[in-house]
Amino acid sequence: MANNNSGTITPSANTAAISNRINWRRLAEPSALIATLFALIIIFSILNPRFASVENLRNLMDQAALPLIIGVGATLVILLGSIDLSIEGIMGSAGLAFVLLSANSRSESDFGLLALLAALLTGIIFGLLNGLIVTKVKVPSFVVTLGMWFVGLGFATVLYGTETIPVLTNPEVSSWSSTLTFGAPNSFWAAVFVVILGVITLILTKTGRSIMAIGNNEVIARNSGIRVDRIKITVFALAGLLSAVAGIIAAIKLGSGSPSVGLGSLFITIPAVVIGGTALAGGKGGVLRTALGVLLLTVLNNGLILAGVSPSFQSGLAGAILIAAIVFAAWSQRDRLRIAK
Amino acid sequence: MSNSEKNKTIALSVKDIQISFGDLMAVKGVTFDLYENEVIGLIGENGAGKSTMLKILSGIYKPDKGTIELGGKTLKLKSPEDANAAGIGVVHQEQSLFTNLSVAENMDISVGKTGSSSLMGFYNWAKVNASARQTLAKMGSKLDPRTLVGDLPFVDRQMVEIARAIRVGEGANTKPVVILDEPTSLLEPHETAVLEREISKIRELGSVVFVSHRLDEVIRVCDRILVMRDGELVAIRSKSEVDQNELFRLMVGREAKSEKREYRRQNQGEAPVVELKSLTKKGKFKNVNLALAAGEITAIVGANGSGREELCKAIYGALPADSGKLLIHGVEAKNWSVPKAIKFGFGLVPSERKVEGMVGGLDASSNLSLIFGKESTVGPFIDTKKQKAVADTWFEKLDVRPKNPTLELERFSGGNQQKVVMAKWLKSEELELLILDHPLRGLDPGAAATVNSLIRQAVQNNTAVILLADTLEEALEMGDQIVVMRDGEVSSVFDLHKEQPTSLDLLEKMV
Amino acid sequence: MKTSTPTEARAIIDNATPPKKIQFRKLWQTFGPATIFLAVFLMISAFNPNFLTSGGMGIVATLSAPILMVALGQAIVLNVGSIDLSNASMSLLGAILLALALPNFGVTSPIIILLVTTAFGIFNGFFVAYTKVPSFALTLGTLGIFQSGALVFSNATAVYVSDNKDFLGHLHTTKLAGAPTTFFIGLAMAVILWFVLRYTKVGRGMTAIGLNETGAVYSGLKNRGLKVVAFGISGFMSGLGSLVIIAQSGSASPNGLGSDLLLPGIAAAIVGGTSILGGATNPINVVFGALTVSMIPIANAVLGVNAQAQSLVYGLAIISIAALMLNGSRSGIVK
Repeated sequence: MANNNSGTITPSANTAAISNRINWRRLAEPSALIATLFALIIIFSILNPRFASVENLRNLMDQAALPLIIGVGATLVILLGSIDLSIEGIMGSAGLAFVLLSANSRSESDFGLLALLAALLTGIIFGLLNGLIVTKVKVPSFVVTLGMWFVGLGFATVLYGTETIPVLTNPEVSSWSSTLTFGAPNSFWAAVFVVILGVITLILTKTGRSIMAIGNNEVIARNSGIRVDRIKITVFALAGLLSAVAGIIAAIKLGSGSPSVGLGSLFITIPAVVIGGTALAGGKGGVLRTALGVLLLTVLNNGLILAGVSPSFQSGLAGAILIAAIVFAAWSQRDRLRIAK
Repeated sequence: MSNSEKNKTIALSVKDIQISFGDLMAVKGVTFDLYENEVIGLIGENGAGKSTMLKILSGIYKPDKGTIELGGKTLKLKSPEDANAAGIGVVHQEQSLFTNLSVAENMDISVGKTGSSSLMGFYNWAKVNASARQTLAKMGSKLDPRTLVGDLPFVDRQMVEIARAIRVGEGANTKPVVILDEPTSLLEPHETAVLEREISKIRELGSVVFVSHRLDEVIRVCDRILVMRDGELVAIRSKSEVDQNELFRLMVGREAKSEKREYRRQNQGEAPVVELKSLTKKGKFKNVNLALAAGEITAIVGANGSGREELCKAIYGALPADSGKLLIHGVEAKNWSVPKAIKFGFGLVPSERKVEGMVGGLDASSNLSLIFGKESTVGPFIDTKKQKAVADTWFEKLDVRPKNPTLELERFSGGNQQKVVMAKWLKSEELELLILDHPLRGLDPGAAATVNSLIRQAVQNNTAVILLADTLEEALEMGDQIVVMRDGEVSSVFDLHKEQPTSLDLLEKMV
Repeated sequence: MKTSTPTEARAIIDNATPPKKIQFRKLWQTFGPATIFLAVFLMISAFNPNFLTSGGMGIVATLSAPILMVALGQAIVLNVGSIDLSNASMSLLGAILLALALPNFGVTSPIIILLVTTAFGIFNGFFVAYTKVPSFALTLGTLGIFQSGALVFSNATAVYVSDNKDFLGHLHTTKLAGAPTTFFIGLAMAVILWFVLRYTKVGRGMTAIGLNETGAVYSGLKNRGLKVVAFGISGFMSGLGSLVIIAQSGSASPNGLGSDLLLPGIAAAIVGGTSILGGATNPINVVFGALTVSMIPIANAVLGVNAQAQSLVYGLAIISIAALMLNGSRSGIVK
């Protein structure tokens, strides 16, 4: 059903030769992305010398940080064949929870690290709910997470209340994300850390390999004794956690709490995952590819703005790229009898 | 049994296994032993219960009664995982590998906890690859375990499946018990030879349950052969004391006899309505030539994987063929599709009734008028009153119950649903070809009789009919000609007005 | 084909009586939306009797008009088993284009806008039907494009209709029983769509596709064309949404009225009894859905909850109603 293995029925004359041959097609895709990335960098540097400045480089790293962090979670969910649309809602809730529990202009109570933990826990709970409803109540993930997107936003709005804007008062906290360590902003290091963890999870752990297996063929995965539900719930919870991390950093960047702190994040992340080569159908792709996709989109947005293009075009460009990428990926399977919802 | 068997160690012992689905008892008290270093064959007609038996052994179904012992220990198989942990590896009929993972990973993923190459959830890649290489070497394969399965040709994938099943046994620290479910049905002859070599390799390492529909192969490969019929184990024969003919008889359960035909041929010598000229769909069927005459029933028989279902879908436009021609009254049909087929008067009653045959959530009268609905529509609009009137007459004619065509079709019983699905096509005066894919599946005898009389009625109206029957007897009883398919090709055609083949004759061409 | 039920077992199930679940779902789809509407209505009236006397329902009807338009379009798309995440942004873009067009093209501009948004919808439908990409992903992409379009055409600020705005304004100011004409246009569209679904071949074909696309294809229905039609209708309804926005506010801005119609639209369709899996919708019930959704900020207020938290309620409503209607009805793979 989901996957048909109608491989050509030909005998393998020499299997050793097949396995030793480099699979060019598999290498071609990321190489094309890297080449595009370099081409963009060169073009933008020529268009505006400021693009290649150290300052803008830091800017780029800071801009890429959030989509990189969210992208790891989104990639894992999409590899399962599911989708997580709740990113912005969870970011809003977690970010606001963090600000309200840290030293802020509304109240003097400062819970320090506990604030961080509480905010992360918020994300995990939202993610767990997503996973539980998808696996146990069997509601398709795009509906659950669409609803959870707005539950998250609504929850954040309730937290926000009607009082004055809660501003982070501890300068150490509010400057954390832009503080440079080894020449790069902390936010970027956080993203690098998350990406590395993501790669390790996907390549080196049993859970990671099971994610790939489930995305490839869920029925076989179940019959092979993989605990499909448990892994799905774990992945959704992980994605919620990462959205929370992104929400906290976004709130720190903003310096204050706002329910809409995640606005637009979904729009960078999903296209980045898809152009990185992770298939929406699941089972194909990876974290590093998403990182490549994020860098490409960030460079594109940043470079266009430096080249004088209005930021109004950003979401449209991301949308067009998303469409091109999914259509490209689905082109070979556009059989009339295949059911796409 | 003979002396030599007494000296052997029992690997797997199955005692009095029983399972029912609703009222239907699919396996009725099956008992047998499997010795170490033995290959046993399991054969039976479609629906004899052999695949249910396999699913019990692989932990997919839980038997209602009976025990399974492995190496003297009673197993409680609640899931495929349990079967794997115990050391029972299964090679399913459909390929069950993850195409996006490497050979080694595929081999490791089903291994129970004790034998797995991961520690605290982390993969030890070196160990995963090394143990896979080791197992492959035992099978005499030089496959690189790091290759992605998706990059492998079909035979090699099957090799990986077998190696995985063996690895499962190794992981459980027992001699592996490998279950092979119709592994040869999609293989070319020279590939089958490779597989048979592989099976003799497994024999050295553990034991095998081998399911196949090719009787010559079963006799060649297996040490003993179990025959199932109607959920019961009817015979155990050792390879030396049995031949194909006896196996046929045991499978079918009675002496083959030719049936008296109940009605005479309607037309003679007329040009065929539909002709197929070397119609081919890669991996499904190839070079099919057929002529279908008006007022005649062509019964197509074949085992699982013979390609006859796909052929029917191709004729109906639902599965595009790769090459070859479809001629309607001598004119080639181009850009063939379902709407076109319907326009030319083709109809299909599919076997997957609920999925393909009807729109269950829609009311019965709407289902009836989805096709050839002209009588109850005015331009783009539906005249619901007329639609109901048309439905009422058909409900009356076919005795569909309850007599309320405004109910959703999914709320009718299977037999009544099938009557409505048939009526959908029979409504048309210009029905040229009716394709019936297992039209009696799941029907009670009363409904089956009605459907059969409807088929005859269609024939009387000069419709050409293709019938995929449930049993060979049904095919012999209903057909004017019988087309036998084997592994995607037409192996034989019988004109029942000139010759009277028995079901054994047909089976012989099928397997 | 691998299924967990063996053929033998399927045969048994075939002859079983229909499950109770279907009847419950039918009952809910028929009477649920009106019942929920009444419940919320009575609750508000009980907490705040002024709601009845001071023309509260008129306000609700006014608020619901733009939601109703996109909700009806969404219901039609959901009915074929897809989803249109771009319809609200299409409405907004349409409103901005309409504000720009009115001074130049006058009375013909609403027609131009309706044609443009219908074309947008057909574009969505074409991609979904012919390239088989998931509709949520495709329309997420077009959502971005329309959003960009709105920003670009409006220069990211409010566009005021400088001329020819009165004739559209009348649609808002002319009222019957406290409700503006825009609401009645929505009501009329609901009746028309109800008729289309119930009494035309195209409508029945769309429902059939939503119920069982494979079965519909095997019955010779042109599944691709019908999907294009469904998305086209969604585009047309978004265009009517644009008209309502301009009629109500006389201006359009990327952050103003209509910028967050997506969720209320989906919520209204689902509260209105539309199945998220396709094959079940009643446009007339969607009217109740839109009214209920529009009352939620008021209900929040009388309950003392932050009125801005309505998205929390919408989100919960979507998840819980979807769960209620799906629970136990499917056993296969859920992505």
